[in-house]
Amino acid sequence: MNRLLILIGKIVVGFLRLFKRNAGNLPGIILWHLTGGKACKMFKVDCPIIAVTGTNGKTSVTNCIAQLFEQSGKKIIINREGNNLDTGICSMLLKYCDGSGKVDADLLILETDESHVPVVYSQLKLETLVVLNFFRDQLDRNGEMETLIQKINGFCKTFTGNLILNGDDPNTARLGRANPENKNVKYFHAEPYAFATDTIYEASEGRFCPFCGEALVYDYYQYSHIGRFRCRKCGFGSEQPYITASGIDLDKPEFTADGHTYSPQLNSIYNIYNMTAVAAAAKLYGIEQKVTDNVINNYTVNNGRMENFMLGDRKATLNLAKNPVGANMTLRVMNEMKGEKELLFVLNDNIADGLDVSWIYDINFTIFERVTRVVTSGTRAYDIAVRIKCSGYDAANIVVRPDLDEAVEELAKTPGRKFVIANYTAVQPTRAALKRYSEKHGGEQK
Amino acid sequence: MIKILHMYGDMLDLYGDSGNMEILRYRCRMRDIDCTVDSYSLGGDMPDFSSYDLIYIGGGADLEQQHISADLLRCRDGIKAAYDNGTFLFLICGGYQLMGKYYRDADGNDIPGLGLFDYYTVAPSSRKMRCISNIAIRTSITGKPVDVVGFENHGGQTHDVKTPLGEVLFGNGNCSKSRYEGYMEKNVIATYMHGPCLSKNPELSDYMISYCLSRNGGSGELAPLDDTLEKQCRQVMLDRLLSK
Repeated sequence: MNRLLILIGKIVVGFLRLFKRNAGNLPGIILWHLTGGKACKMFKVDCPIIAVTGTNGKTSVTNCIAQLFEQSGKKIIINREGNNLDTGICSMLLKYCDGSGKVDADLLILETDESHVPVVYSQLKLETLVVLNFFRDQLDRNGEMETLIQKINGFCKTFTGNLILNGDDPNTARLGRANPENKNVKYFHAEPYAFATDTIYEASEGRFCPFCGEALVYDYYQYSHIGRFRCRKCGFGSEQPYITASGIDLDKPEFTADGHTYSPQLNSIYNIYNMTAVAAAAKLYGIEQKVTDNVINNYTVNNGRMENFMLGDRKATLNLAKNPVGANMTLRVMNEMKGEKELLFVLNDNIADGLDVSWIYDINFTIFERVTRVVTSGTRAYDIAVRIKCSGYDAANIVVRPDLDEAVEELAKTPGRKFVIANYTAVQPTRAALKRYSEKHGGEQK
Repeated sequence: MIKILHMYGDMLDLYGDSGNMEILRYRCRMRDIDCTVDSYSLGGDMPDFSSYDLIYIGGGADLEQQHISADLLRCRDGIKAAYDNGTFLFLICGGYQLMGKYYRDADGNDIPGLGLFDYYTVAPSSRKMRCISNIAIRTSITGKPVDVVGFENHGGQTHDVKTPLGEVLFGNGNCSKSRYEGYMEKNVIATYMHGPCLSKNPELSDYMISYCLSRNGGSGELAPLDDTLEKQCRQVMLDRLLSK
């Protein structure tokens, strides 16, 4: 039976490849149905598995940890296309397994969606779980985040493997108390950077101690609810750090961890936290210092995170925005660029995006500067068009093209600098459409 | 000149509810109508409710609704007097529920409502049972039937609604799989529709703007705006929901 299921899955993968489509979740979804939701169980994985989860930064940290091992000469498997649901992980394993379902690698490094951690790792044995942060995003406007944390907390209650946790995020750090028997809990921290504040800056979660209900006190906030916190009543937040980033200087950019100074490529406090998580994993697995240096100092983002494409002679930068924070950041980068530019916004409302798209009303479009035209696309192309219009942008300069290829054609029609924002399920189809345009009209992915 | 009071916008802001204010302001601005939106939240100075043409309250999670309920009761007489005096009440989700008799939460605790209207709301004991869906309804509040769309996400089941806002074409409405959605009077729109509600339904915005203007002695007649995008947006959703 197992062999038959694997064969079916492999045929689907091959079929999709024939049509030059990214396999995505589809083969996994088919197997998920055939196995009654236990698709990951079909695989025989003997090597250790490291999983990375959290609201923001999963892809970066997963890639970096993968490089730590790759550059140490290990054979690793990683879900590079960001297929981080159980069905996506299953689709990916299908590509790498043999006919019996055996996966041959030294390590599996898997970006895993927060809500899928318990599902996937009740079926596959996990050695290390890295948890970066928990923020509200578009899926959570109704206390669903608490439900999500409870789910992962439930998993951690019986988990005895390594738990690498962001010690500056109360939502994440609380997982360290889920299983008092687990001696393998390790917290990473960051000392205040130049823009850390005494009071909270953005609306956020986690103002109260999850154990005793007391208001948490903060020495400083880095951003949102991330910062050095503790509970005066029960001592939550006073755990021993495993690794701490200090001397953070975003101008260079530079930071020090365990007495070693790193010079990363990206100058955001988010990235410092991500790279500290990577340094924690490197420390845990005894990675050679020169390899860790190489990975942390050279990591830049791609895969729909500020990724550049040439559409003929027109440069386009694509960025994923699955929540208002991400979208606002892209708009800021866009504004800081001199000269005129055009924006393509691709908005989908598939299940993984959250069926609701009202989070676009938390994006501040009034800051638009020198944006001469907006093209919108995706299953909710009109919604984003209306949203931008209501912010006061002239509707005459908005073009709606629900079909992605038509949208890219439209965008590339005029000369000048282009920006592309796509939400979660829109990113891969958008990348594919941009590449198709380049193949047809010249230009390349940069 | 239209004066709006937005209550608890910092706490009750689910699914883009604050966007409704941006849209009302936008539609006024496009017509050179002065429109001011004041904010009121927990423990603020008691506003002069009757001086406003429209009072707006959005939706929030159970916890937030508990937090504001005592404060809202403190405002009861002021809001009641304003409503009796013809101030428009625009209420989404939690705001809708709290104007009724009471809201019984999942644990069986009653949060008292202002009792302006006869309906009451009961949340199912399981927090997992929620009405979450795109929704389409047909309303006649503007005098002729118009199909409007939004997004609903509520646990509470609202009963005893005498004058619903509209008939459900797709989705749940006041109760799970119910026939009717929302509550209305001449000067009340109460609904579970987020999205934000006004983003794709310009007729509802204009009904309220027109009401407020005529209340102040104006003709209430509005210069037409180009709503092509809004209407196409709604049509795409209606086609998707109703062709199933």
